[in-house]
Amino acid sequence: MNIDDINKQGASASPADNYSSAQSNDLLDFDDDPLSATGVSRKSLVIFFLIDTSGSMKGKKMGELNTVMEELIPEIRKVGEADTEVKVAVLTFSTDVKWMYSTPIPIEEFEWARLRASGVTSLGAALKELNARMSRNGFLNSPSLSFAPVIFLMTDGYPSDDYKAGLRELQANSWYKFGLKAALGIGSEANDNILTEFTGSPDTVVHAYSGGQLAQMIKIIAVTSSQIGSKSMTLSDDTSHELGEEDVFAAKQKLLGQQIQELVGKSETDDVPFDTGW
Amino acid sequence: MTELEIGQEVELEFGGKAQVLSVIGSGGQGTVYLVRFNGQKWALKWYDIDKMKKPKEFLKNLRSNIADGPPDNKFLWPKYLTKEAEDGTFGYIMDLKPEGFDSFVDILNTYKLEVDPLTGRAVKKDVKFSSLTAMITAVINIVNSFRLLHRAGKSYQDLNDGGFFINVNTGAVLVCDCDNIAPDGSNFGIGGKPGYMAPEVVRGIAQPNVQTDKYSLAVVLFKLLFRGDPMEGEKVVRDVCLTESSELKHYGQNAVFVYDPNDASNRPVRGIHDNVIKFWRIYPDYIKDAFIRSFTTGISDPTKRIIENEWQKLFIRLRSEIIMCGCGRTNFASMFVQPNKKTFKCPKCGMEFATLGFSNRSYRMPLFLGCKFYECEMNPESEEFMKVAGELVENKLKPGVLGIKNCSDRKWRAKMPDGVFYDIAPGKGFPVWQGLEIDFGEIKAQI
Repeated sequence: MNIDDINKQGASASPADNYSSAQSNDLLDFDDDPLSATGVSRKSLVIFFLIDTSGSMKGKKMGELNTVMEELIPEIRKVGEADTEVKVAVLTFSTDVKWMYSTPIPIEEFEWARLRASGVTSLGAALKELNARMSRNGFLNSPSLSFAPVIFLMTDGYPSDDYKAGLRELQANSWYKFGLKAALGIGSEANDNILTEFTGSPDTVVHAYSGGQLAQMIKIIAVTSSQIGSKSMTLSDDTSHELGEEDVFAAKQKLLGQQIQELVGKSETDDVPFDTGW
Repeated sequence: MTELEIGQEVELEFGGKAQVLSVIGSGGQGTVYLVRFNGQKWALKWYDIDKMKKPKEFLKNLRSNIADGPPDNKFLWPKYLTKEAEDGTFGYIMDLKPEGFDSFVDILNTYKLEVDPLTGRAVKKDVKFSSLTAMITAVINIVNSFRLLHRAGKSYQDLNDGGFFINVNTGAVLVCDCDNIAPDGSNFGIGGKPGYMAPEVVRGIAQPNVQTDKYSLAVVLFKLLFRGDPMEGEKVVRDVCLTESSELKHYGQNAVFVYDPNDASNRPVRGIHDNVIKFWRIYPDYIKDAFIRSFTTGISDPTKRIIENEWQKLFIRLRSEIIMCGCGRTNFASMFVQPNKKTFKCPKCGMEFATLGFSNRSYRMPLFLGCKFYECEMNPESEEFMKVAGELVENKLKPGVLGIKNCSDRKWRAKMPDGVFYDIAPGKGFPVWQGLEIDFGEIKAQI
């Protein structure tokens, strides 16, 4: 017995050849390699950073912010895993409103471009610009599914334009409605009420009064919100009644508020406030 | 003490101190550190008890898991507990992931990121199974590890893509994150990962248990083979944004399998779910039927889900039906032409393959140079899925003559071309010929 007897070459035409020809064409008309797969289709999660680059941010605040954002990127990279492609979009606002990059960039390729501070605080214009881009035809154009975006606002002062008009437009945007919103007030000038208006609840508003706190708060908010944004709701202990839409509505935003408050409560810091020691 | 400092020492419950060397990673419940203990390196998981619903019960369960030990060596099982810190925090140490294993997440992504320590820049590296046999072996190992766990009366609870390491060259599997494993019926606060959770868990009417594990296992297997989400098709994609309520709908209340034969509303979408569309054409019907059952009747009726032993049999069969053709084409027998009941033929090059029929199987095994017989196929009781018991080789002294070599440690009997049965001792072999009959002991086979 030799190889040819067991594994007959097709050339030694056997009667079976005709019987099988139709079937064999059918088997070959596409790439049939069971190992040649592309990555699983991932849901996309865009994290929007809205950053105040007005003149008052100059110096230590901006230096600290640039540094922590550079360090933050590798930490967010770990968040997505196989299910989620995390993308980052950065909108800065001072006298003008400007995107760091013209489209959201996948976190794996994202590189932080250091920001400079100057000018006034056009928050209203920034919210309008965000509303314009936060659409299926704009920045949220992934062909597959998306999670609701994470929107993280950082500012150190009172808006110099009509922020209410911008916020009204934004509040009509569904992506904003379902999105995870958080805000960080930097220094003692930042206005809590405005930030709460933006996020919709005081739980998701935090403050940083020093460089150490700024770094800590940015990390807490960005990592927690992207973790929650890319995963789903946790479970109820009570299995006696079935969950309905009202039970899960805005569940992520509530969870984000809880977790931010827990983490913020834990982190005490004793370093020097921004506005003292001059 | 939520976070440990590098260099800090943590006392273990039964003596000794583990010194923290670096952070390995962090998850929902805590952080994993690289530590040195007794001169060796280990992984230390340190919990953030504020994020846990029932830390005391969790610790008690962890302690009894450590006492019970792992169901077998495929589990990266908790080894020793630390002493409880004053504020009640605690952790445990376990073996480190051995070299050569990749995470299931990286396999699904088909790449991993390696960070260049100098530039901090992340570089993509391919992660792919080196052979079809390795991939199906990994499936068999995953299924078997959950069979053993469930037989031990425990459930894994939050089975998902973060739970495994796989060697893409051999198909060896390590189950990690074993700290939520609990006796069936108990739950210490873990829910699960969306997409992997059973619909009744998503709906809030059941807590994780052995039956919900079975659903999650089917999702893991589907993702590994078909490289997509079994419930994500047209119906889901139309929602565009996956909000909490759409997740509840598509993975809970109204979950529809993408290939539900009776409901075409959620078919995979070209351009998004290309993997699923392609691989659904490749796998044989008996595999597709098992997934259809899991994700149709198995959605509403947990008792209709495929049991591990059944998956195990199906995938042992699938592995034995892999044909590596001389032309380079490797595929399942169902993707070859069958000119007659006992022969397969490569549609690309025309090469034909004889088959072997076994006394305990309804299907025939194709024979080709290099094909392997595994211990679990020769002995129905065996759980040795990677141990090779026989191989089709070319006779070293008579080039061109093919035969089967006995690589097991048992004696076989085979009918030789002279019509007489001879003993085939371990290390010996016999030619493959038209009238071949083999007696492996309990199982018999013939050409």
